[in-house]
Order: sequence, then C-alpha cells, then structure tokens
Amino acid sequence: MGRYIARRLLQAIPVFFGATFIVFAMVYAIPGDPIRALNGERPISDSAMQQLHERYNLDDPLLVQYGKYIWGIVHGDFGKTFRGYPVIDIMKEKFPVTFRLALGAFVFEGIVGLFAGILAGLKRGSFMDNLLLISTMFIAAIPVFVLGFLAQIMLGIQFRIFPIAGIYNGWISYVLPSIVLGSLSLVYIARLTRTSLVENMRSDYIRTAEAKGLPRSRVVGRHALRNSLIPVVTYLGVDLGTLMVGAIITEGIFNIPGVGREIFLAIRGQEGAVVVGIVTAGIMIFIVMNLFVDLLYAVLDPRIRYE
Amino acid sequence: MRHKTEALGLLERGSTTAEHLLDVRDLAVEFNTDYGDVHAVNGISYTLDHGETLAILGESGSGKTVSALAVMGLIEKPGRVASGEIVYKGIDLLTLPDSDRRAIRGAEVAMIFQDALSALNPVFSVGDQIAEMFMVHRGMSRKDSMAKALELMDRVRIPSAKERLRGYPHQFSGGMRQRVMIAMAISLDPEIIIADEPTTALDVTVQAQIMDLLRELQQETKMGLILITHDLSVVADVADNLSVMYAGRVMEQGSVWDIYDHPAHPYTERLMHSIPRLDRKGGRLDPIKGSPPSLIYIPSGCPFHPRCPRVRIPHCRDEVPPLRDVVEGRLSACHYAEEVLEDEKAAIS
Amino acid sequence: MSDTQRPGGSSDLLEPDEEARPEDAIAAGGPGGVIAEGAIAATAAVEGGASVYQASLWGDAWRQLRRKPLFIISSVLLLLFTVVAIAPGLFTNQDPTFQDLSKTVQAPQAGHPFGYDILGRDYFARVLYGTRVSLVIGLLVVAIDVVVAIVLGSIAGYYGRFWDALIARIADIWFALPTVLAGIVFLNVMGERGLLQVAFVLIFLGWPTLMRLMRSSVLSGRESDYVQAAKALGASDWRIMRVHILPNGIAPVIVYATISVGIIISAEAALSFLGVGLELPAISWGLMISDAQNRILTSPHLLFFPGAALSLLVLCFIILGDALRDALDPRLR
Repeated sequence: MGRYIARRLLQAIPVFFGATFIVFAMVYAIPGDPIRALNGERPISDSAMQQLHERYNLDDPLLVQYGKYIWGIVHGDFGKTFRGYPVIDIMKEKFPVTFRLALGAFVFEGIVGLFAGILAGLKRGSFMDNLLLISTMFIAAIPVFVLGFLAQIMLGIQFRIFPIAGIYNGWISYVLPSIVLGSLSLVYIARLTRTSLVENMRSDYIRTAEAKGLPRSRVVGRHALRNSLIPVVTYLGVDLGTLMVGAIITEGIFNIPGVGREIFLAIRGQEGAVVVGIVTAGIMIFIVMNLFVDLLYAVLDPRIRYE
Repeated sequence: MRHKTEALGLLERGSTTAEHLLDVRDLAVEFNTDYGDVHAVNGISYTLDHGETLAILGESGSGKTVSALAVMGLIEKPGRVASGEIVYKGIDLLTLPDSDRRAIRGAEVAMIFQDALSALNPVFSVGDQIAEMFMVHRGMSRKDSMAKALELMDRVRIPSAKERLRGYPHQFSGGMRQRVMIAMAISLDPEIIIADEPTTALDVTVQAQIMDLLRELQQETKMGLILITHDLSVVADVADNLSVMYAGRVMEQGSVWDIYDHPAHPYTERLMHSIPRLDRKGGRLDPIKGSPPSLIYIPSGCPFHPRCPRVRIPHCRDEVPPLRDVVEGRLSACHYAEEVLEDEKAAIS
Repeated sequence: MSDTQRPGGSSDLLEPDEEARPEDAIAAGGPGGVIAEGAIAATAAVEGGASVYQASLWGDAWRQLRRKPLFIISSVLLLLFTVVAIAPGLFTNQDPTFQDLSKTVQAPQAGHPFGYDILGRDYFARVLYGTRVSLVIGLLVVAIDVVVAIVLGSIAGYYGRFWDALIARIADIWFALPTVLAGIVFLNVMGERGLLQVAFVLIFLGWPTLMRLMRSSVLSGRESDYVQAAKALGASDWRIMRVHILPNGIAPVIVYATISVGIIISAEAALSFLGVGLELPAISWGLMISDAQNRILTSPHLLFFPGAALSLLVLCFIILGDALRDALDPRLR
C-alpha cells in the first residue's frame, strides 16, 4: 500500500510542473506588452516601464520567470495584479464562493445520480431504466449554457422558485446554479452506477451469494453495491476537483462571483498573474483530489493495495 | 421463515419419511431467448440418498449445470422450470414459496462452483464470507460467526487459518480458494452438496486433495453429494452412481463401475473409448465425431443420432428412446441398449 | 464536471476514464450467464444442414443497428443536418448576412419561420448556415484526434515501458489542465480566431481520452493468446497491430469518438458563447446564443432556435454513440 501511494505521489510531481508550466507559458508568452496594453493609449515613461518590468520579472527568460513564480507560490505569494492587489487575496475571496457552488453541485449529482442509477440498474429494461437512459441523453445534449438559461426562465422567473442571479439570498441562491452545474455529471454518474450495477449483478460471486441463501436485500445492498460503487465513488472524488475550476459558464450566467468569473475577467484584462494564480491553484486541487481518490480506491478495493 | 420450514419438518436432520433424500422427476428447464427457446434440460430424473455420491457427467451444453441450478432454485428470467418435480425430503421444492426455498438454500442444500476466484466476492475477506452464513441463517453475532468461520477453515485444512481469516480471495491459491468455498458450503451442515466442476480449474494434485476432502467430509456427515463434471477420471474416483447427460437428457444411469465396465448406451460407449484407460491397452484413442447440438435445435428422435455409430434410420431419427431399465439398476435411453451391453460384455471377456 | 464537457478530458456516457485503474474482470456468469451455453451452441454449425451464420463483431453490430429505431432516426436526422451544412441554399433562399434593421428581433412570422435577429437578419437562414461550422469543427477535430489517439495509443500500449510512461505522463499533464480554462487561455493568445484556430485548440485538448481508450485496448489485445501465437510465428509488429489488435481494439475508440463529435460541437458553441471562440462574421450557434442573452425574456426565439438546433445535433451523435456501443458490446445483449 505504501509503495502504491509513493508511486502515485511521484507521478503527480511531473504532472504538476508540466501542467502549470504550460499555462504559465501560454499566458506570459503572449506577444505584446501587458503593461502597455493595460495602460492603453496613455503615455508612460521608459523608467516607469522599466520599473514595472522588473517588478513583474517580465524581462527574464520564460523558464526563469516560471521558476521564480513557483518559488513564490511555495511562500504563499501568487504575485500581484498590475494594480497591486495580491492575487492570493483575490483567491481567498473567490474560492470559497466557487467551493460552495461546487459542493452544491456535488451533493445534487451524487444523491440524484446514485439514486436514479441504482433504481435503473436493479430493474434493467424496465420503464425506470429506459426513462433514465433517454432522459440522460437529452440532458447531456443540451449545452450547459442553454440549460442555464432555461433553468433561469423556468424555475427562476416563471415559477419564481429560486433566485436567478447573485448570491445575495444566502444558500438558496446556490440551488439553481448547483443544479445546472451538476447536470452533466449527473448524467455520467447515473449511467455509470447503472452499468456498474448491471454488470456486477451478472457476476459469479452474486450467484454464489444467492446460492448461500442470502436475502435479496443483502445480495444487492451488500455484495453488489459494494463492488458497483467503487468506480462511481472514485469518479465523484475527481469530479469535485473538476467542478471547482470548471464553473465558468455557470458563474457567468448566474452572476456568481467565484473564481470562474474572476478568471474570465482577468483574461480580458490581461491580468496574467490572476489567471495563472487561479489556474495553478486549480491544478493543485485537481492533483490533490486525484491522489485522494487513488487512496480511496485502494481502501475500497483490496486487490489494488498490493500492486 | 425458519419456522415455516420447521413446521414442514424439513429441518429434521438425517431422518426422512420420504424414500429418497432427493428425488428429481422429469425436470425440464427452458430459456426463452431472442434466438429461440433453449431447451437446456429436457426431462431428467435421478435420485440421491444420504451418503451417496451421484456424478452427473456431460459435455458443455449438456444441461448439467442448469439442472443443478434448478434444484437450488436459482433459475431466473428468461429461464424457467417448465415441468417436473424436485422432491426434497418428500416435499416438492417447486411448490414452496420463495422465502422457504431461500431458507433451505445454503443451509440444507449447498452449492460449490467452479472458479473460486470469480465465485467469491473480491472485496470482502474470506472470514466474512464464511461467517455470513451464520449471521444470516442462524442470526448469530459477528464475533461468534467469525469464530465458527475459523473452525471451518481449520476443518477444510487451510493452514494458518487464524491469520488468513482476514485475507482476501485474490491472496489465496486456487486450491485454498476452493477450500474456502467448501467451508462456506458445509458451514450449516447441509444435507446435500452440489459441486459444479469443483476441480476443473485446478492442478491434478490439488484436484486430488480437494476430492479427498469432499469424500472425507461426506463420510463424516453422511450428506448427499452431487458431482457435476465432464472429467471421467474424477467420476471414477469418488462417485457411486452416474448419470450421463446429453442435450439436456439423461442417456444412461447406473452405478459407476457397472457403466464403466460395460456401458449400455452408444454415447457412453464412445466416451469410454475416447479416453486412455489403464485397463485397456493398445489401439487408438477414438474421439466422437461432430459436436454437441445446439439446445435450440435439438435433433429429432434420439438427440445423439447424428453422431451415433450405431444409428439406425429411421427408427433412431423418428422416435425418442425412453429412459428405461436395461438390466437391474441400469437405465438407458437407447432403442438398442441391450445390443450395446452385449457387445461391451463380449469385448471384455 | 465542468460546464462544458471536457473535450477528451471527460467521460464516455458510460464510464469515465480510469486510466490506471485495473480492469475489473468480472466474468459474465450467474444464472443469466448460463444462457450462454445455449446461445453459443446456437451459433455453431449443426450437422444435418441447419443454418450457419457467420458472427463477426462489425457485421453483427451492423445487423443489430439496422433494427434499432433510435439509430435509424438519429442517422436520418444527421443526414439531414449534413445536407443542410453542405447546401443550406436548398432550404432557404434568404441571405443570412443581409441586414434589415427595421425588422430587428421580430418574432417568427410567415415566410420567416424563425423570425429575425437583432440586426434584422433572417434567423432561419442563420440557423441553417450555422450548421456548417458546427459539423465541420466537430468532425474535423474528432477525426484528427482519432488518428493521433490511435497512433499514440498503439505505441504506448504495444511497446510499453518507456514509451508508455512518456505518453501516459503527457496525457496526465493534459488532464490536469482544466479544459475550459485552458481553452480560453489558449484561444486568447491567438490573434485571429477562425475555424482552424478554434479547431486546433480543441484538437489539442481532446486527444488524451481517446488515446487512453486505444492504449487500454492495445494493452489487453497484446496479452491475448492469438497475438502471442502470431508473434511466435514471426509476424511483424505492424502486421500484428493491423490484423489482430486494431480491428477489435478500435471499437471503444469509435464509440467514444462518435459521442465526442457531439461534445466538441457543444464545446465550440460554449467557447463562442463566451466570446473566445469564433468571431464575427462567422455564423455560429454559440455566437447567436451569446447575442440572445440579454433578450431572453423579450425575444425568446433568439435563444430557442439555435439552442434547439444545437441540442438536436449533439443529441444525434449521443444516440449514435450509444447505439454503437450497445451493438459492439457482446455482453450487453
């Protein structure tokens, strides 16, 4: 088990550096001078330019810039925006908001997805099952932004159930965006649960369990589910990390001041530090969640532990 | 649920008012699939008594496993028991409600499967899986059940049982896993054990060990053992009686040694000739031409007639030979069984 | 899951990628599996003249597909979309770029079934012409991704060790990139954003999942007995790949590729919607929906028609992919 974890950790390192470097390169390798872009048409003295360039390491070769940046992160310094705000403060403000949104989506997709998937999986070919298969196809086909607008119109305006923008109403303002954000994952989870359950129910050990005279509730609830849920749980784990950084559109439509929205604005405003900062943090979260899930998988499936 | 079966008198160990421990009569099982109706079992009958070992021999697709599953009550859609009776201790199991059948399953009639690696749940320890029998059927606590599980693992001779109680199936060797399966099966002192190809996936030496174990357990408990196999040597090793199946039907039935010495059915005869035997020297091995029929399109008349060296058209093609007494204690489903028997006797003498 | 399906970084509708997760080899057994005894026997030749039918994976799949109503419907729809994409002029004689500001945001009416957009252009024509962009990007991106995935996946799976480690790590890095964000960042970097640029970014982001699928097929194919036998007979690597591994191994890739087309189409629309995808004067459903944002309540038709067209097109691919998967997977019959 220890070896397994160690190996995963080791593999995570190059992934982290590789991914963050790519993003860094993309942002800072842009032709054109961000300082000038920020200033627009206003003239700026050469010495001021020089100062700013130095402050933001803009004259160093890319790798050096990257190196200095990583070094900064280790000390909790994600740099500053061109106006002087520490990026980390921005992140501290926006990440919790996105986290709440992601958590909401997570809870929604987990509960509904598992429930629907299990029902469908147990009665394969039944009405419930076919309903699930068809409805998931439709939900998956509608792009998330269309879904978002539809949800706003239907549930927010027509029926006035939920607020449609901002986070002023407390937790309830997260409901609609969470549902929209989680809708796609919901499809995956429901399907995955269903397929996993159907497959497991056909296996030999289920036949053995039945031959042992165990009640159906135990055969399914204990033997089948325990195996079936392994891939689902691991998927859920990774998804939480993905949700955190993937909510751009949802945040835009519902006007939620989270990191997604922030990045979007930052890209427009050429605020490289913010973009890189948030994306880097996102990558870190993703990698950590992956490692966690690897661990979880080993706990759930004894066959993995001794690899 | 235990109480109902108690009332039915089924939990009385060892004694029964019925003639046989298990009496299967004219069992037929079919599967309604998209490809057509699969007639997996077409009217088989056999009996089993305490302390007796019955071997059911047949090739793949002969229906032997399905018949066992029917006895256990494990036939599910699209399969169904089309006709027949499965009389256990005088009661036809097919007439019992599901809950009663489930009470009997595992506790009184247990089954062992072929591939123990896939037949055991990979995420639970073997101790857990054995202990489960006690927890569910006897309502015992986990602690007590695990203690019982340990006892059983010792009994089936798994070394270092105490440490291995918490081990997982994939950590055991093939033979050890099969012992775990046997432990699960004998845990509640069943009256009957059905072993479906228990040694097919194992090495020959391990095979011998497992068969020895089964025989020993049987002698201790006087339980009935149904051994399903396609391996003629395994049959010769442990079985008292033999039922040869083909295309879902019984072709020949009787005591093992009698049949091995002089079969009374062309199929059995050809089987005997197709393997090397110590008591017959010289000559070539003679496999049976052709392959077993599809269970959807079973040949008319005698199902073996397309491959039978003794076939006589139109008789064999048009008329289904009934399973009948040829001599005392021997049944054969061949129109010309007596001829086969005579030829075999002549060959030996 | 992020807002837009991660092109390539996301999951098949069935199973998400489980790259290094060992396959759970659950034998199809149980009472239902016993039918296999009969069914397999059913396909064997019976002496005496009963019918023999050749069972091959693709042939069987096609036979099955032909009979499914969903497959037929979605194929027909897809065909329709393709015709529209190639020759939208067949369906409308309006010019999608002709502006008549006096007709701005008028609702559907006679002769103009989808009404007008903000600049007074015929919406029906615009939606029709928008099909082209979506289909082209979807098919182009996935086609190239499939080729890349097959090549890289085969190398990684077949030669293992170093190549596998290298390619797998690169794929891992790609996965760690949040797709939508990375897409936005990359696209922002490019000066002019035409079809090719957007396609390039999507190709770039989408290959890892397909590659992984290919890789795992090749890995399991490599271990199979018939491949070992072929090797022993001296067959060259190329031949083994081409004749033995590829034909079957490609199946999951094709299934996912089909669904991917839908995903990519959706992704392009999302990027255009955000303003980082195609630019005007390109005609993209995503752009149209973006324009419609502020007028949803007053002029719902602006959102509805491109939204419906987009959903329908993606749905076709999803249904197709689903049907393919069912047809190609013998276990699910």
